Amino acid sequence: MNSRSKSQTIAFVVLLAAAVVLIAGGVFGVINRTSDSGEQMLSDMRLTALLTTAGEGSKEALVEAEIEAAREAARAAGGGLSEIREAVAAAEEEARARVENLTIEVDLDTVDTSALVPAVEEMLAAQRALGVQTDADEAAYAEQMLAQMPDETTAAEEEILESAPTDAESAMDMDMSEDEMMLEEEEPEVDMSGFVATEEMNALSAVVDEKFAALCDALQGVSPELSDEALETLRPTIESLIYQRGDTYETQYDRLSAYGTAGFVSWVTRYGDDLITVGVALTLVAVMVLFAKPLLKALGIPRMIISCFFLLMCVLAVIYDLSLTTLLSNTVVRMAMNSILVLAMLPGIQCGIGLNLGLPLGIVGGLLGGLMCIEFGFSGLPGFLFAIVTGCLIAALVGMAYGVLLNRLKGSEMSVTTYVGYSVISLMCIAWLLLPFQSDKLRWPLGNGLRATLTLDGAYRHILNDFLAFDIGSFTVPTGLLLFMALCCFLMWLFSRSKTGVAMQAVGNNPRFAEATGISVNRMRIIGTTLSTILGAVGIIVYSQSYGFMQLYTAPRQMGFIAASAILIGGASVSRAKISHVIIGAFLFQGVLTLGMPVANVLVPQSTISETMRILISNGIILYALTKAGGGSRG
Amino acid sequence: MAKRTFGEWMRQNIVTVVFIILCALCFFLSGETPAYVAMELVDRMARNAFIVLSLIIPIVAGMGINFAITIGAMAAQIALLWVLEWQIPGIGGFLVAALMTIPIATLFGFLVGKLLNKMKGQEMIGGMILGYFANGLYQLLFLFVFGNLIPLHTDGLVIQGSTGVANTMDLSGANGIRKSLDNLISLEFAPALYLFAGIIAVVMVIFYVRKSIRLSRLIAVLAVLAACVIAVQFPAVRDIFRLVRVPVVTFAVVGVLCLFNIMIMKTRLGQQFRAVGQNRVVANAAGINVDRTRVIAIIFSTVLAGLGHLIFAQNLGALQTYGAHEQVGLYAGAAILVGGASIVKASNGQALLGCLLFHLLFIVVSGAGRAVFGDAAIGEYFRVFISYGVIAVALVMHAWSSSVKRKSPEAQLRAASEKA
Repeated sequence: MNSRSKSQTIAFVVLLAAAVVLIAGGVFGVINRTSDSGEQMLSDMRLTALLTTAGEGSKEALVEAEIEAAREAARAAGGGLSEIREAVAAAEEEARARVENLTIEVDLDTVDTSALVPAVEEMLAAQRALGVQTDADEAAYAEQMLAQMPDETTAAEEEILESAPTDAESAMDMDMSEDEMMLEEEEPEVDMSGFVATEEMNALSAVVDEKFAALCDALQGVSPELSDEALETLRPTIESLIYQRGDTYETQYDRLSAYGTAGFVSWVTRYGDDLITVGVALTLVAVMVLFAKPLLKALGIPRMIISCFFLLMCVLAVIYDLSLTTLLSNTVVRMAMNSILVLAMLPGIQCGIGLNLGLPLGIVGGLLGGLMCIEFGFSGLPGFLFAIVTGCLIAALVGMAYGVLLNRLKGSEMSVTTYVGYSVISLMCIAWLLLPFQSDKLRWPLGNGLRATLTLDGAYRHILNDFLAFDIGSFTVPTGLLLFMALCCFLMWLFSRSKTGVAMQAVGNNPRFAEATGISVNRMRIIGTTLSTILGAVGIIVYSQSYGFMQLYTAPRQMGFIAASAILIGGASVSRAKISHVIIGAFLFQGVLTLGMPVANVLVPQSTISETMRILISNGIILYALTKAGGGSRG
Repeated sequence: MAKRTFGEWMRQNIVTVVFIILCALCFFLSGETPAYVAMELVDRMARNAFIVLSLIIPIVAGMGINFAITIGAMAAQIALLWVLEWQIPGIGGFLVAALMTIPIATLFGFLVGKLLNKMKGQEMIGGMILGYFANGLYQLLFLFVFGNLIPLHTDGLVIQGSTGVANTMDLSGANGIRKSLDNLISLEFAPALYLFAGIIAVVMVIFYVRKSIRLSRLIAVLAVLAACVIAVQFPAVRDIFRLVRVPVVTFAVVGVLCLFNIMIMKTRLGQQFRAVGQNRVVANAAGINVDRTRVIAIIFSTVLAGLGHLIFAQNLGALQTYGAHEQVGLYAGAAILVGGASIVKASNGQALLGCLLFHLLFIVVSGAGRAVFGDAAIGEYFRVFISYGVIAVALVMHAWSSSVKRKSPEAQLRAASEKA
């Protein structure tokens, strides 16, 4: 049992203790929210805030009264206009100085709140009822408008897509993330200007008026200086203090705490859920510290780091009140849509050509398939299948030729494939400008060539995503997409069990031994390369159906790198990979990116830090894999 | 026999030959005037030759094309930012930037070299990905450190309301260093040609006297120089170069770098580069510290690339803060390969010729694209394709020939004896 050092155990105990304290506090806080004492706390804060506001109001009323009196006096004395103004100014100054010294009594123990408390309670109830009713009516109205309105948003999207490329040099930039951000679907916006309050709402706001009058009486009971006019001007402030639409415990707390600190217990109540999150995270860290060595052995340093990073992102997302379930749902979609591209790395690694950074060859095949599908006007499932079959045929031909080439270049595949991939992409940039496609959906309305971003609406957009999809809360399960991913993985698994598959892996593990046993090394490498290229074609079609757009020109250039880094994060090396690596890698990589973007935007608003993060992670992991693959110190 | 050697020569220089044909073709298609092309070409040579020459040492040291020179360019841009911040104008600013670049690039080069030692045989792809990775760190530095954690005070360096350094660094203002090196001495073509022809002749004679080169080589070089000087006497030739202004000092610096590349190969360090480049195992057996030699080669390359990028920046007069360095490795690597270098062999002449041809194509290709397809964008894409394609072809040819060599029985025997 020497595997665990003393410091490790101590760290574990300390962390665990801290976690327990935090969780206990958090649980207490969360329970406290719904219990009477929590309500009491909030109601106390509400009263304090109200009294403060009312006090400020009464001060203002006092000053007003003094000014009025001074003006009357000056006018009665019969002075000129300037004299009156002077007298008023002097009186105001005096009154303000006096009011400054007045302390507003907000201590709930000394102020008589017996009339105020029920008034506030009733006001709150009335406002809440009005808010709920307004929400419901507005939602109904929006739905009605949406049904009448033609698809305005798609028109707006069209406009974006119409704009022609400015110049090729700027298109050479590597950022794809901007486009990827579009992935989150935009909510259609409805023009609410025609919305009129319904009868129920009018009735409820009458109730609110009534309760407000009662509340005013109660307030005047506490501070008699308050005039009716002063209260009327204070009304919006008071209403927004008591209730705002979509209120939760946290928002009320944040709003009210500006009027006075509420003590430690209420703080715990406010941040209870965050405390629990941090506590759980600390527990995980504690367990990780305890099992650091076996974990490191099982996961490897990079996967360990990325996993921790992923957990950190989850915790931050919860703390910043981002919807973790929505984010995780996005992660699952993105994992599945990228998974086939990542899977394309598998046969390449298994047959011994290493990371197939020439994946753009297959991607181009898939894009051609998709283009033909739109050109010939196929749509729906037949269109999707047509695109896949055409894409696969093109990719198979290209892949075979590519495999023959790679057989001549054993040992330097990686650098050659990268540059071959890059040249093919830039060659295709010319091709996209020249290819004789005719469909208006594909070509720029003005100018030459195909559009840079093609919408797949009306073709096979979301054909897999929406198949049998269902919601669990805000978590959408893209059943079709997951099934397709599982199918592809299953087919790969079947293949790896077949005679050819076993032979191919043997070639990858030890080419000399394989050759000695009579396996044709070159043939197996061609099979592996072709398979990888075909999967690249299928991968881009699956990717684009989920994304909703096909991107031509320079967009696919970095996809080989992204797929390669994903499988490496999953635990593969440049010479060994399994299907589990594909799925884990795609999930972790996409998870970090999907969660990273909103979290980074909270931390540093309006920044590209998440894009920077993608560059660092994706290239860092490939670099790490390269250092593990090659180079003893002695040459 | 003669036919076979011609075939061999063709095979070794196929890229250059194809490129010359391509350039000629595009030139005629584009319809650009020779005077314009000559002016642009001299300008682009002054801008890019230095950085292409910085690739030679790692190639000799067997590390292939050092795509990580982008990191040297980043060092130069860090130095430039601070020179702009301190508002040091003119040649003084350029020198300060150069002095700052050297230590920064040395540090970066050291780290790059250490990392590349961990991926022997994969240096090129490693260097390229390292360039991308470093670009991420560069973005962190310029977006979140400079201008935020370390405040910048000069107007225009930080745009209000956005994070980090502005998208362009303008060097052309009163306190900029635009053309500070180029405009030190600027001559017309003919006098500049006389000057450089004279200097080259003197240097060659000195080499001959010190027995570094053969008589035949000396005579050949002198004959070429004389031919150039005579050619300029014709009004037709003179007319082609009427628009050209030659930045003498910049070309002199390039010439000094060429000399440096020649001289360092004659030192003990240069011999070590060569030995390591030819065979790491043998070099190690001969008592050379292989890893250290490789790190030194990369440091040289990174520092030179940084200085080259400064020359590039002062010539252009403005820099894309987040994009100017990205393509440095690609274009320089493609250029040197176009000149007939391979990933194991390169010389000054090949670098200069390659730079010339590559940029000649850059000048004429968009015009040719417009003339043939009615679309200048095709020319733009074509030159990107050419850059990647040249590198891909060079890599394929190298891998091909080395795998053929590996298969020949003699080589197998040699490999076996090495193992033993």
